[in-house]
Amino acid sequence: MNNTYDVIIIGGGATGAGMARDCSLRGIRSLLLERSDISTGATGRNHGLLHSGARYAVTDRESAEECIRENMILRKIAAHCVEETDGLFISLPEDGLEYQSVFVDACRRAGIRADVIDPKEALRLEPSANPALIGAVRVPDGAVDPFRLTASNILDARTHGAEIRTYTEVMELLREQDRIVGVRAYDHRNHCELKFYAQVVVNAGGIWGHGIAAKAGITVNMLPAKGALLIFGHRVNNLVLNRCRKPADADILVPGDTISLIGTTSSKVPYDEIDHMIITPDEVDLLLREGEKLAPSLATTRILRAYAGVRPLVASDDDPSGRTVSRGIVLLDHATRDGMEGFITITGGKLMTYRLMAEWATDLVCKKIGNPERCRTAEIPLPGSTEDRREVEKKIRNKPIAQRRSSISRHGDQAVKIDSRTSIQNSLVCECEEVSIGEVEYALENLAVNNLVDLRRRTRVGMGTCQGELCACRAAGLMGRRDPVCARKAKADLVSFLNERWKGMAPIAWGDTLRESEYMTWVYESVCGLSDEAKTASK
Amino acid sequence: MRFDTVIIGGGLAGMTCGIRLTEAGQRCAIVSQGQSAIHFSSGSFDLLGSLPDGTPVTDPVAGIAALAKIAPSHPYSRIGAERCARYAQEAPELLRGAGIRVAGDSRRNHFRITPMGKAKRTWLTIDGYLTADEADRLPFKTVCIVNVEGFLDFYPEFIAEEFRHRGIECRFGSFNHPDLEQIRKNPSEMRSANIARVFDREANLEALAEELRRLAPESDALILPALIGLVRNDSLEFLRSRVGHPIYLLPTLPPSIPGIRAQQALQHRFRALGGEYFLGDSVVSAELKGSRVERIFTANHGNIPFEAKHFVLATGSFFSKGLQATPDRIVEPVFGADTEFAPTRSEWYTLRFFDRQAYQAFGVKTDSSLRVLKEGQVLENLYCAGAGLAGFHPVQEGCGAGVSMLSALHVAENISGN
Repeated sequence: MNNTYDVIIIGGGATGAGMARDCSLRGIRSLLLERSDISTGATGRNHGLLHSGARYAVTDRESAEECIRENMILRKIAAHCVEETDGLFISLPEDGLEYQSVFVDACRRAGIRADVIDPKEALRLEPSANPALIGAVRVPDGAVDPFRLTASNILDARTHGAEIRTYTEVMELLREQDRIVGVRAYDHRNHCELKFYAQVVVNAGGIWGHGIAAKAGITVNMLPAKGALLIFGHRVNNLVLNRCRKPADADILVPGDTISLIGTTSSKVPYDEIDHMIITPDEVDLLLREGEKLAPSLATTRILRAYAGVRPLVASDDDPSGRTVSRGIVLLDHATRDGMEGFITITGGKLMTYRLMAEWATDLVCKKIGNPERCRTAEIPLPGSTEDRREVEKKIRNKPIAQRRSSISRHGDQAVKIDSRTSIQNSLVCECEEVSIGEVEYALENLAVNNLVDLRRRTRVGMGTCQGELCACRAAGLMGRRDPVCARKAKADLVSFLNERWKGMAPIAWGDTLRESEYMTWVYESVCGLSDEAKTASK
Repeated sequence: MRFDTVIIGGGLAGMTCGIRLTEAGQRCAIVSQGQSAIHFSSGSFDLLGSLPDGTPVTDPVAGIAALAKIAPSHPYSRIGAERCARYAQEAPELLRGAGIRVAGDSRRNHFRITPMGKAKRTWLTIDGYLTADEADRLPFKTVCIVNVEGFLDFYPEFIAEEFRHRGIECRFGSFNHPDLEQIRKNPSEMRSANIARVFDREANLEALAEELRRLAPESDALILPALIGLVRNDSLEFLRSRVGHPIYLLPTLPPSIPGIRAQQALQHRFRALGGEYFLGDSVVSAELKGSRVERIFTANHGNIPFEAKHFVLATGSFFSKGLQATPDRIVEPVFGADTEFAPTRSEWYTLRFFDRQAYQAFGVKTDSSLRVLKEGQVLENLYCAGAGLAGFHPVQEGCGAGVSMLSALHVAENISGN
């Protein structure tokens, strides 16, 4: 087995995936290692906001400029992951209008289009906005699907020769004197240890990067900041809604696909809790209270689930107290910083700047290994975005219209690869999200799906209003069809999936959510008799 | 409109109560909003599968007697073990009287087989469904599990995986038909009830029999998903006689064909006895005078009230909206009855889906005659039966159907006695 590469990237979030793509396009032989599935960390646990940068314009001009540049790039290279909705920054009576002029000036200085519009016009554009608003500014915010974006980067990286290993956890950084030469990793699927070697090892582990650096005896001082969000059962707003004031808690409402998202809270959490984020009733209350100020109808909208991510905030190197925090991109060359060759860390930043972060880190890798190729990720569209969606639609006319649209929105031009020749392949597994058997099969074959939760990230099975009521079972059935080992695994998997869904429902389990939960208990525990397995299948 | 008793809720509890009261000569009405938990029926009725601590129950009647000490607020304990034993004799008779052919013994649980091949303890099972006296002893050594092509709510591979652990050799068969192809033209139509309609046509059932005849010689028995006999009564007998080989049914994911059938049979029986069944209607308000319910108003009947000597609240739990959860309390929406629940929401559940969740035992407070409490006072002529009662875990304890039927019989007896 070949176990030597030019570069090893640790972490399968947007940054790691973007870097695997960047490296592969520059002809660098890369291996990406991810301990779980792709986009399981902060990448998949944020707003999915295509920031215009306006939010940072007043406080952090550099971040704002990076955001608007990347915003425009993503609209081109990742069109199928982006919804060009625009956003409003609304001023409520309690906010006053003073901040608005400061805000608009700052946006314009950072190169962000910011149009002050009449409150009436704002309400016409976005009827869900609080009718009490006294001012509104329109900016080029949008929505971006982080799962799709990451999966698409991975797909392209793989096409260009990168090797991607999910469920492979780095246990040790292999060291020869003052150089990191590779990693020792544990393969969680095959239950074995593996060693990989490379000229450069890149730490792209987000908040977990703190622990990865520590394996080399290096301190990267990170401050885990938990952000909780709520997902609503339907799309309340069509434009992103922000409060036009100094950034605070729960003041962004983002539409995405069939839902809307409110967030976030912000609280420091101890490092040893980052794998076990629990949403508290206080956080739920705060999100609802503040959310209703943006869009009053949230008070009566069903909440689907609650979740939280951990931002990788990095304390500045020149401040030993750790109080000065940067939200910008942090690229650390441990050779110059710590005297450790062959090891770099890319962290900080945000989903919006994943591509730029990947570019910076890959530039540094190129410098180290003497590769002269320049970055092309800002020009070459990602798979899924290489063709106009109308053209794609023409090619899959035989598909029922709702499925055609939803599969194109999920897979862009790759939707043509979904087999839809027979009525069985067109049969729906998931009615809420219009996922067909053909699409599930496509994902199982092509998108490195190992379990139901992975499948959900690729296809939205179980993400709709019912939260996996019956579709989880159907998808498990399809996954279990292959052989007896698959059947056993798929059943255990179903239990994990239900536990995972429930974890997000429990913090908001009243009203219809509790009804749905009771129904799921009847179906899975009583009718199917799955309860006995819960104990043995727990991880 | 005047009745002796008005029952709110047309699920298993409401129907049982209504049938028993009409049998006793009462003039009865049932107001039902439609779907109930019977639609998710497994084809079996559970009486008591385990004690609250998880100990499996072999003899449900003995298990109920044991509850008196360990779970005094359980509906069975409040009804009383002796009465429960008697009602457990009467309940299957009531089902059979409605044409639902069930077999089982309240002194000895048998096992039903789930759509995933698991064996679960149960009390009564409808004829034709696969059961076993011991969890690992099935009536065949080799079996062919047949599914309908493209039907996703039944899991032959999962069933086979469980059966193989019991040393049973499993094969798979699959059935297709031009009429099924018609259904599949609409991608969301391949669901149990639509398929069952296809098999209500004799020619299609004949075609299925032919395919089963072809598959039969290789195995001791054949297994089919419960997709037959939505309207026809004799579908399984028809197949068995045509194929000449043991055929067993297994339940599917909802909607459940045996559940729909049972619902229809109970409804039919209630009406045949002279009961009035108001389907698709729901109660909007109730008038109380002192500690008595005087009358109720429904959505469909506007200002025409339902008046009665007795009222029965059989509206179910959360799913059926008999109980509603707000962020900080549990509400019974029709009468504003007192409810049992934990004061802070974090006590309502744990983060593991399959744990025993406290919320499942929340419900309406009653006295020992199952009369409803409101503001601490007993409402003299309002009783509660079924899933809305407090104090039990229908799923973990495997007692949902039992509590519904036994509490309904208890309420009927109390009403008739008064």
